[in-house]
Amino acid sequence: MTDAPARSTDASGRPSLRKDGGARRPPFTRLLVANRGEIAVRVFRACREMGIETVAVFSDADVTAGHVRAADRAVRLGPAPAGESYLRGDAIVAAALETGAEAIHPGYGFLAERASFAAAVDAAGLTFIGPASGTIAALGDKLAARRSATAAGVPVVPGTLEPAPIDRPDQVDAVIASAESVGFPLLVKAAAGGGGRGMRRVDDAAGLPAALDAAAAEARAAFGDGSVYLEREIRPARHIEVQLLGDRAGAVVALGERDCSLQRRHQKLVEEAPAPGLTRDERRDLHEMAVRVAQAAGLESAATAEFLLDDDRRFWFLEVNTRLQVEHGVTELVADLDLVREQILIAAGEPLSAIVLGAAERATEPERHAIEVRLSAEDPARDFIPMPGVIGDWRMPSGPGVRVDTAAAAGDRVPPEYDPLVAKILVVDADRDRALDRLARALAETEVSGIQTTLPFHRHMAVDPGFRAGPLPIDWVDEHWAEALRPRREAALEAARWAAAAAVANIPARSTALTLDGSTPWIRAGRQRAIERWPR
Amino acid sequence: MAAVSRRVRVSLVEAAGPGGRDAAEIDPDADEAPPASRTAIVAPLTAGRDGRSRVEVVVDGWRFELVVEDAARAELRRRATREEDAAAADGPAEIRAIIPGRVAAVRVVAGDAVEAGRTLLIVEAMKMQNELRAPRAGTVERVAVGEGQTIENGDVLVVLR
Repeated sequence: MTDAPARSTDASGRPSLRKDGGARRPPFTRLLVANRGEIAVRVFRACREMGIETVAVFSDADVTAGHVRAADRAVRLGPAPAGESYLRGDAIVAAALETGAEAIHPGYGFLAERASFAAAVDAAGLTFIGPASGTIAALGDKLAARRSATAAGVPVVPGTLEPAPIDRPDQVDAVIASAESVGFPLLVKAAAGGGGRGMRRVDDAAGLPAALDAAAAEARAAFGDGSVYLEREIRPARHIEVQLLGDRAGAVVALGERDCSLQRRHQKLVEEAPAPGLTRDERRDLHEMAVRVAQAAGLESAATAEFLLDDDRRFWFLEVNTRLQVEHGVTELVADLDLVREQILIAAGEPLSAIVLGAAERATEPERHAIEVRLSAEDPARDFIPMPGVIGDWRMPSGPGVRVDTAAAAGDRVPPEYDPLVAKILVVDADRDRALDRLARALAETEVSGIQTTLPFHRHMAVDPGFRAGPLPIDWVDEHWAEALRPRREAALEAARWAAAAAVANIPARSTALTLDGSTPWIRAGRQRAIERWPR
Repeated sequence: MAAVSRRVRVSLVEAAGPGGRDAAEIDPDADEAPPASRTAIVAPLTAGRDGRSRVEVVVDGWRFELVVEDAARAELRRRATREEDAAAADGPAEIRAIIPGRVAAVRVVAGDAVEAGRTLLIVEAMKMQNELRAPRAGTVERVAVGEGQTIENGDVLVVLR
């Protein structure tokens, strides 16, 4: 020990800012997350590790929700509908000012990609954790992004570059003509959209007007902007996206790509990193295209450039999401960094860290494989319709190489007003085969009652030989799952009948460690339950 | 003391859906259990003073709500209601909500003749808009909900005749 110790260096060789062994001063004292559910909890975790106090916001449907329980403080926004709570930028800024929060992290969805919200946060003298409002406007508007990517020489999915004039009955013929030139089947997409909302597939001209109306209505409800455009549906295709991170000085790096091809109704179900089967050169070209699009828009903070990979191994630019993605965790597991922490540091004005630069250098030669499944309150036997309800039992997996991002707990209500995602289950291992083995193990540990979840689908995929052989095209679930589910569900129903019959008969034999204690559990109030192996 | 049969009838509360029969008879003392080695979660929902117990069972991630009833008693009830059921096949069809949510749009009014598959309502749940279609051709007898209305599981939405 000396009186004036030389500045120490951390593992990566970069000078540490720690002084005299004391904790590093957090970049912000207090941070508000303008979101709910697992992503709010995810951001709070990074804050905790950095010594930043946390503020949650909530609607009347979320008074006792997990993200409220996880925060140091919580502020009510309003009634359950998102338009009266989580989409009320004014109330959120007011909550930040009232609680002394200096920064606002938007999570994903809700206001995350609304340029006006980012601008309002800035105008209030607070820090928005994300790209500048100008960048959100330039990249978040999918039509503007398509024009910008074209200008940067990146191939975009064929389609229109201007919004369809849906409110002009006299323009119907013009819309149909441009649809014919794009070619059917095509997609009607919301310019402000994301996550499959405000999107409709159209097979022929007859279906176009209804699709335009439906997509515009959904987009207006979800994003407050009903602009829609047309895009050719490239099939078969894989959905591959690149994680980007940029700093205020204009440096932008790619931190690897993700394959998110397993989708249903344009909602991602399974994501993995890296994308299987890409050569080092393909990977490098893809990352380079993504960086070019982001640099043209002056990206600061985290964003994701989405591409389609067609059968001829060509990449087509789709859009840029100027936010943290739901599936950011698989990249974190492979690249070995914390994207939320880096976002917060960047927002505080720091340049890209040594950890980020090192990860970017290794991004074309990934040495691990990570897979995420989205456990949602949806019925995989009925077209994945949302099934809100109250969670009964709730057992999440753990152990080596397993990460669970969730805000849910036993007894929580999954409200019908919001996204049905209840947990993200992630695994990481040395390669894809081992990651799939680990995923199957983790999902076998997972149990949820009270609500129907997508767990049966994920258990199936973890052992499906087709999925094990390589990534499946985007339409796989629509084309194959309905058949694949039958035998599994039939076997489960037979076993369920037995479990029910034995439990009601109160049989104390080997087959029924199912009743509680030999008394008559059926007259008890509440949801008291017995959980055992059935049958042995 | 003579052994009493504990043969029961186990029925799904909702339609069986893909890969499954609605009801089956089981004697847990005598019949062979299915060779599944999965974890089951069993929870009593209601004790049913009418002799019908409602149970939630989750097997391999699939969640079922089942009604368990003495098989002989179930048969009696079935006979008693058979004539009623026969009348109902041609009678009015109630279309009920299968998810809680909000009615985003109503596309029919009472008196409309509809084809099978015609969109009746659009229900918004978890930010997704779901179209509710006519299960068969018929005439709309009644629209039980209005635009903007919040609906719960099982609510009657439209009655067809």
